[in-house]
Amino acid sequence: MNFFYLLVSAALFALGAYGVLARRSAILVLMSVELMLNAANLALVVFARAWGSLEAQAVALLLIALAAAEVAVGLALVVAIYRTRETTLVDDLSELKG
Amino acid sequence: MSLLDLLMGVLLLLTGFLAVRLKNAVHAALALAANFVLVGVVYMLLEARFLGWIQIIVYAGAIMVLFVFVIMLLYAAQAEVGADPLPALRPVAAGVGAVGFLALAFAFSGAKAPLASKAAAAALAGGTAHALGPVVWQTWLYAVLLVAALLLVATVAAVTVLRPGEGGGR
Repeated sequence: MNFFYLLVSAALFALGAYGVLARRSAILVLMSVELMLNAANLALVVFARAWGSLEAQAVALLLIALAAAEVAVGLALVVAIYRTRETTLVDDLSELKG
Repeated sequence: MSLLDLLMGVLLLLTGFLAVRLKNAVHAALALAANFVLVGVVYMLLEARFLGWIQIIVYAGAIMVLFVFVIMLLYAAQAEVGADPLPALRPVAAGVGAVGFLALAFAFSGAKAPLASKAAAAALAGGTAHALGPVVWQTWLYAVLLVAALLLVATVAAVTVLRPGEGGGR
């Protein structure tokens, strides 16, 4: 059991969570989300190695495709918002607050 | 744990830290690309060779190029723009990250591998496309089809959202 890489994966997830909360630009928030997704994928591959299970690797493969779809839609929304609002700062996009 | 593993771990944490801390968005994107390449190398070390190459091609290649493209397109290559409305949020974010790390480490600490390392490595057969293909195309076939449909919908949505002349587009 490669516990070391599990710890690295947890640390990368924590760094991504920090980035999501601390970054102010929507593009950089999306990049931090990618870091978190990647950390989850790394944990899946470590568990696949420990359990000898190819299924976990198949799920990791599907997750990479899902991440690509997420980035495509996310960046399209950022560009669309920038076109109308001339900003990508998440603090300037507060019209939907309750 | 070998010296290579240790080096990989240190480099992963360093590039991840730079990706969430650098002021220039282009530099942060490049640090994130380095992080993705390193993760691909770790996949190969963990008997997931096909996945490692896919990681480098799709994540470090396609996804990061998309990010760099949008950063360049929007002239938004700065992380610090204007006054920070919530200056106290940074330490709170660091605290949330630390708590998340401790919770995950605690959750992982209970995991016990059922197989010996050698037997597990043999079952993975190197994680090549030859080994992974039957699993993806038989057990996970419907998931693959769903993800394919989702990718198509995402592509159409991205193009539609950015179509000029209608809605908010110019």
